[in-house]
Amino acid sequence: MSPRDNTVGVTGRQRPSISLRPRTKSAAQPVVFPHQYTFDQLRKASLAEASDDDSSAFEEMESFPDVVPRRRAAKSFSHLRHPMDGLVALGRRLSVTLRHKSSKHNLSSSGDDSSEAEDHYYRVTAQSAHKRNALSGSWASRSRAWSHGVKSSSINRRPSLNDISALHGLFVPTAPISGPIPGHGMEPPVLPNDRFAGAAARAAAAAQNEQMELTRREMARLEHDLLNKSDSRVPRDSESGIGIDLRDPSELPATDLNIHRIDPVSYLPAEIMTQVLSYLDPASLMEAESVSSAWHRQACSPHVWRHVFRRCYPRRPLSVTASKKKQSYGVGKATPNQDWKRMYMVRRALEQRWKDGKAAAIYLHGHQDSVYCAQFDEDKIITGSRDRTIRVWDAHYPWSCRKIIGPAPDDVTPAGPVNNPAQQATGKSPFATICPPSVPVGDIASSIDEAVDCHSASILCLKFDEEIMVTGSSDYSCIVWDIKNDYRPIRRLQGHRAGVLDVCFDDRYIVSCSKDMTVCVWDRHTGALLKQLIGHRGPVNAVQLRGDFVVSASGDGLAKLWNVVDGHCVKEFLSKDRGLACVEFSDDGRTILTGGNDRTIYQFDANTGELVKELRGHSDLIRSLHLDSMNKRIVSGSYDMSVKVFDAESGELSIDMPGWTTSWMLNVQSDYRRIVATSQDARAVIMDFGYGLDDIELLEE
Amino acid sequence: MSSQITLTSSDGVDISVDRTVAERSILIKNMLEDLGDSGEAIPIPNVNEAVLKKVIEWCEHHKNDPVTATDDDDNRRKTTDIDEWDQKFMQVDQEMLFEIILAANYLDIKALLDVGCKTVANMIKGKSPEEIRKTFNIQNDFTPEEEDQIRRENEWAEE
Repeated sequence: MSPRDNTVGVTGRQRPSISLRPRTKSAAQPVVFPHQYTFDQLRKASLAEASDDDSSAFEEMESFPDVVPRRRAAKSFSHLRHPMDGLVALGRRLSVTLRHKSSKHNLSSSGDDSSEAEDHYYRVTAQSAHKRNALSGSWASRSRAWSHGVKSSSINRRPSLNDISALHGLFVPTAPISGPIPGHGMEPPVLPNDRFAGAAARAAAAAQNEQMELTRREMARLEHDLLNKSDSRVPRDSESGIGIDLRDPSELPATDLNIHRIDPVSYLPAEIMTQVLSYLDPASLMEAESVSSAWHRQACSPHVWRHVFRRCYPRRPLSVTASKKKQSYGVGKATPNQDWKRMYMVRRALEQRWKDGKAAAIYLHGHQDSVYCAQFDEDKIITGSRDRTIRVWDAHYPWSCRKIIGPAPDDVTPAGPVNNPAQQATGKSPFATICPPSVPVGDIASSIDEAVDCHSASILCLKFDEEIMVTGSSDYSCIVWDIKNDYRPIRRLQGHRAGVLDVCFDDRYIVSCSKDMTVCVWDRHTGALLKQLIGHRGPVNAVQLRGDFVVSASGDGLAKLWNVVDGHCVKEFLSKDRGLACVEFSDDGRTILTGGNDRTIYQFDANTGELVKELRGHSDLIRSLHLDSMNKRIVSGSYDMSVKVFDAESGELSIDMPGWTTSWMLNVQSDYRRIVATSQDARAVIMDFGYGLDDIELLEE
Repeated sequence: MSSQITLTSSDGVDISVDRTVAERSILIKNMLEDLGDSGEAIPIPNVNEAVLKKVIEWCEHHKNDPVTATDDDDNRRKTTDIDEWDQKFMQVDQEMLFEIILAANYLDIKALLDVGCKTVANMIKGKSPEEIRKTFNIQNDFTPEEEDQIRRENEWAEE
């Protein structure tokens, strides 16, 4: 770690009043828990809490397992770059080889250069008839100007079209033609040299027409000849030393005469060239920038890069089943002056940070007890705690707490270390550690009258969207808050007979689950209790909603899929061993992930119920899961105090971040650039992979 | 309403074509709607006979394609795939290819314009600048320093 790493946050425009805390590198430093707890004491304390009806956020029927040694997970990911390109290139080469072989045998076997050249000329005439007139005048000079000392063989190279049917259209009779061929049909034999009249193109089409008149027999004969003559030609080629050319035809000198090469940038209007270039992948487009200054101007255009960026990072698909708060995908705003290329570069740098597991840690300090839940968007982070308050934080520098909802707490003083360097040594540690200063409570706490209608016990869960926030509490109720009107409470949902452990909602329903073993479905707009889903035999720890379907995960070891409309359980997904703590339902409704005391993440096909994958790596209960389908990442938080990132496609562990806080990880959520994790040590941590990247704000939506 | 109409190419050649085929061209379609079908030949002043015949060949093959409901630029550019028939159709020399693109643009045949542009894009894709120059016979007017500069700009933003 360079000294620069620690100071990134305080450079330039972002000079804050924050205190930077360089991470101690000493792995020998003992683990220090807040309040001087040891690990076991903490565990006991938490166990006691679990039995305490008031404050349990995770419920399970069975006892907690013994501590097992932490497994060190291997980090691996594939670096296969452009596998398709390789295949295509190979295919191209193969076809070139064939073509070369075949085309050679159309040549007369004359060894004399001039006669070969003449012969070639006729082939050229026939192959690309559009040039025949121009060529007849300039042939001699052009053949002299031929570079690379390439002799007869090169003239047989085919044009660089990505041609599949090499024989179609291009292998035409090679009989000498002494003069310009009369055009087909009405076409005049001599063509005006007017570009926009398309003279050359017309001639080409005429040639094509001629070709179409070829009988199949003739084609077959040609092919036959090619095959028969192939052997006799080989020695000749080896003599000339340029016989077998495996290069792509496009790599051949531009002076090849069997094709008329035209710069599309000068031939086509800018808007069409923009469309051409917008079909390229970013790597090809960047190569195209270096072709010439005219190409550079076209290839750098924001119009081109907008399409290229959008193809790489599409906007959110409009899904009817997506009920989660719309998360930022980090694909920027569609403003007229947007620098799309810069956005691509930033995004690419950000992806590299994720690959390298390189993130800064920003600690949100203020809660006075476990932070059970959090949700964030580009603007704010909202956390809920055992201290009975909800805090709203700025998601940007200086990450200050904007508001406290609930009973006004005492001012807090940061206490103890924010993370655990000893544990971090086994995985990725933050490259910068930032502890923004606390805001005085008096400035941000609710006024007395507001505090009347708030939760009287731990905030166990919360979710918000553009309009409302819903919280669930150990006081058995949910509260719906008006997010647009300074978080004023709208109504309280009462019906559960124990703590509300998780909540989710969409445009129609609010779904809550409870330690009372039920799931309740409420009308979002009226607060009426619509359905009660009964069937679990243990506390229901987590719930997710997609369209008409709810998936719930319970301490009884089952995840259940319910139809909200009729209230029936449609499917069950079993964990192998013990209770489930968390569940994720993919945006497309096809995949269900569960995690819990098995320390394994199970991936199920929601339609068939089939267990698709098991993701391993955690060494203790998996408390929270987040699936980012767009970026193909599964993020998990565990009682082993680590946050891990898995590749959602391969199931491989890609980033291991142990010890970023000093206690259990209780909630995780991620977007394109960061993970927000909450911990039992009363803090939330932003694991910011975009921290310090220039222009990262371009990606904000 | 006659099912055949006549188009006159820039070089004065009359070509008879099914109206439904010709109406793949939004330009011709609008013209027929605005002017009514008088039975007179429609001049296509920007496209010569050879190119026009190629374009008609394409329209003929695609006459039963559903007219794309969405004209959204973003949607059209989502995929770079070209179907097999179109790939073969586009196996022409560069000048013909570019002329087809220009004609498709002028005649407002979006699907053909897309295929043409994708074909050119495929000729560029995966190539080094030098390979691209050779493909299209382009002179490199950059100094080595300028080329270096561009390359550096496109390198990783950090590390």
